[in-house]
Amino acid sequence: MKTNVAVFYGCRSVEHEVSIISAVQAMAAIDRSKYDITPVYVTKDGEMYTGDCLFTIEEYRNLPELLKKCSKVNFTRENGSVIMKHENSGLFSKKKSVKIDVAFPVVHGTNCEDGTIQGFFEYLGLPYVGCDIISSAVGMEKAMFKDVLKGAGLPVLDCVCFRAREYVSDKQAVTEKIIQKIGFPLIVKPVNLGSSVGITKVKTENELDDAIMLALSFADKILVEHAVTAIREINCSVLGDADSCIASVCEEPFMNDDILSYEDKYLGNSKGGQSKGMASLGRKIPADLTEEKSEEIRKLACDIFKALGACGVVRIDFIIDTETDTVYANEINTIPGSLAFYLWEATGTPYRELCDRLIELAFRRQRNRENITYTIDTNILSGVSFGTKGSKGAKL
Amino acid sequence: MNFFLLASLILAAVSGLFSLTRQLQMLQQNSYFPSRYSSWLMSNIPTLAVAAYLISSVLFYFELFWLQAAFLAVTAIINIIRAVKIQKKSIKKLVFTGRIKRLFGSAVLIYTALILLFSLLENQMLSKLCAVILFFVALLSPVTTYICWGLTLPIEKLFSRYFINDAKRILKNHSSLKVIGITGSYGKTTTKFILTRILSEKYNVVCTPQSFNTTMGVVRTVREKLQPQTQVFVCEMGAKNLGDIKEICDIVKPDYGLITSVGAQHLETFKSVDNVFKTKFELADAVDKKQGSVFVNGDSAELISRLNDNYTIYGTDTTFKYKAQNISYGRNGSEFEILLGEQSVKLTSRLLGLHSIINITGAAGLAYELGVSAEEIRYAVASLKPTEHRLELKPCIAGSLMIDDAYNANPEGCIEAVRVLGSFEGMQKVIITPGLIELGEREYDCNFRLGLETAAKCDIIIFVGLNRSKPMVDAVNTTEFDKSKMFVAQSFKEAMEIYSRFADSNTVLLIENDLPDNYLN
Repeated sequence: MKTNVAVFYGCRSVEHEVSIISAVQAMAAIDRSKYDITPVYVTKDGEMYTGDCLFTIEEYRNLPELLKKCSKVNFTRENGSVIMKHENSGLFSKKKSVKIDVAFPVVHGTNCEDGTIQGFFEYLGLPYVGCDIISSAVGMEKAMFKDVLKGAGLPVLDCVCFRAREYVSDKQAVTEKIIQKIGFPLIVKPVNLGSSVGITKVKTENELDDAIMLALSFADKILVEHAVTAIREINCSVLGDADSCIASVCEEPFMNDDILSYEDKYLGNSKGGQSKGMASLGRKIPADLTEEKSEEIRKLACDIFKALGACGVVRIDFIIDTETDTVYANEINTIPGSLAFYLWEATGTPYRELCDRLIELAFRRQRNRENITYTIDTNILSGVSFGTKGSKGAKL
Repeated sequence: MNFFLLASLILAAVSGLFSLTRQLQMLQQNSYFPSRYSSWLMSNIPTLAVAAYLISSVLFYFELFWLQAAFLAVTAIINIIRAVKIQKKSIKKLVFTGRIKRLFGSAVLIYTALILLFSLLENQMLSKLCAVILFFVALLSPVTTYICWGLTLPIEKLFSRYFINDAKRILKNHSSLKVIGITGSYGKTTTKFILTRILSEKYNVVCTPQSFNTTMGVVRTVREKLQPQTQVFVCEMGAKNLGDIKEICDIVKPDYGLITSVGAQHLETFKSVDNVFKTKFELADAVDKKQGSVFVNGDSAELISRLNDNYTIYGTDTTFKYKAQNISYGRNGSEFEILLGEQSVKLTSRLLGLHSIINITGAAGLAYELGVSAEEIRYAVASLKPTEHRLELKPCIAGSLMIDDAYNANPEGCIEAVRVLGSFEGMQKVIITPGLIELGEREYDCNFRLGLETAAKCDIIIFVGLNRSKPMVDAVNTTEFDKSKMFVAQSFKEAMEIYSRFADSNTVLLIENDLPDNYLN
């Protein structure tokens, strides 16, 4: 009897392809002697497919062909279990259905990583790997993330946030506020996207409008923060749950441009068209830091993880202002590209073991929840007589 | 062939099928043991059914078939109404399981066969014989019950064989699963829940639900509840006869065992305490085969005399391997220390009473040997929830504390509850109790003893019910207890009014066996 792990990936997200790469890597890493793997590929339309061909990355070059070889599925709850049902089946054959024990989402970006897919699992009552709804949602929304960290007394850069309508109706006022509070150089970001999409560094006022308009094409809410000029970017991964967690070694990604662009992150070294995701990005592991600095960042990473109530594996990106030697938390990836496995391998945890831990954590969260009473077994309505016309029963 | 007689037969069959619901309900609730069903039947003889059968027989004998048909029509209607009413108001209704359906099916088959034979047989004598048999089995539904039970038994045996083999197969494919067997005359269900809660800090645990402690209950748990990710299976094993535990062990093959107590329970089937002991230790024999350890409650007097070095003993004595020490009770519930490895760990629990602490100690020791850390055990024990109205610690008026033991009506349990109250050191101790009822001849003595115990342990006594409390008041009057601190209230409401005069943040109130006010006078 093996635990059936459903790996969800793809989804309606700008990082759809990145998710495919991360998921195919993860499926190759999960220990087949312990687990059965059911790939669940969610198309850009939000339809779900499963099939054996989904394990091979080459198959994804021709998506229409790939989907023909797969079968469309949906999920329901029956007798206390979650069942995956094949929608199309032979004329006379019974619809195929498979019991799913745990979900393993390897999705990136809005409409999935941001609590959406976690909500789907919660609704089904299916244990799942990684952050819950709240920590996923807060982790995706950069402004809220900063607020939570500020509230916990953790270091973040100051920022100005505004909405699309606010900006369009009075550009002048917003611009003045930005200049007054932040000053140049600065960085303009849509609040809810990962992977550097729509992010621009702005050095002068006349570049500002273009940068904001670009960001607005990705999100309704914009965040502007000071651009640290003497900057080092350091990333650190955390594994565990809010009760106990550990930090990986730190990495320092090399920057080709002023800031890490989407192309750098995911299409770097991709001349042969063979993209390997975050793992292939030019980087130094472990980062060249003093023992002290590295410990400071790792401790900070764990504090942030706990402040957010995160679970599973995350990657937290930090900025060091080298002039003042101050560390700031920049953002969190609640489902990091390639699940940050390269950081864990460098820390001494092989990818296979990492996946094992992640699945265990999913069951652990489930157990903790079962120890709390959520529903009252008796039906309160069973003792109530509803006030229908003519009757004198008690009304609700 | 007489038309009225045929009608009588059909009506008797209908009547029989409906009154069968009650009989099968009781057979089901007696776990399909005809012996236990019989003892229920002996004290619930269906006199009306017997009367109906006799009347019907007389009418049949005098060949008043039209009158018999009319009489049986009325009987059938009454039985249908009764059957529906009984099922409606039963707390534990008949569950239409596969087995019950098969029993009903065989009854339908028997009735139909007899009616067909009656109408088709040429021979008058044989035909009449069929009618006689049908009236007998249908109007006396317990007879049908026994016949159907016997007829379906071989099929049921086949079914259970299949289910048992299926459970064995599932467990065999689950090679990394650890199985823990728990048995004992008392406390095994509570200990099972405590152990499951502690183990769930580290493992995916499945335990047998509330009362599934028979072979088939365990088999059903394995087949329905065990998940591929399950790491530990905590299996409660109940026994009423020699060999019962061995039968379960042969299926689940426990790696660890825990024996909570041996006492004089189910003696009607066990015959002697010695047999109870032998049965419980069938678990130890099974665990030995897998070189696992067996945990035994050293505080159970019957047990300690028969133990040897092979067992891991837990309890309160200092010589035991896992022992609860420095026990105290207070606002946070019970507090005690146990030694896990080299480390003395302080545990706090909302469960009160020495038996609870001993149960926790055994469960904590076993969990510790399975790799649950002291820190995890501490947290799990602190989050254990008491059963409602069973030594349940809750806040009360004026910042005082209440021990709600309203559902306790057992003499030993009541005395233990008063002892628990007595151990809340440094606090003002108050009891509200109407005493014990429905104990027959022993009632006066039990209440007298309860009165002596309250006088010894409480600062303020509030008895409820003038007549009811007499034995307890007599008992208190034989002691040195300050009479001005003893009150007798007319009702529970009045008792609470008296209590409100004394309640403060340093007061603890025990509500013992609180009865509805209509019992009191």
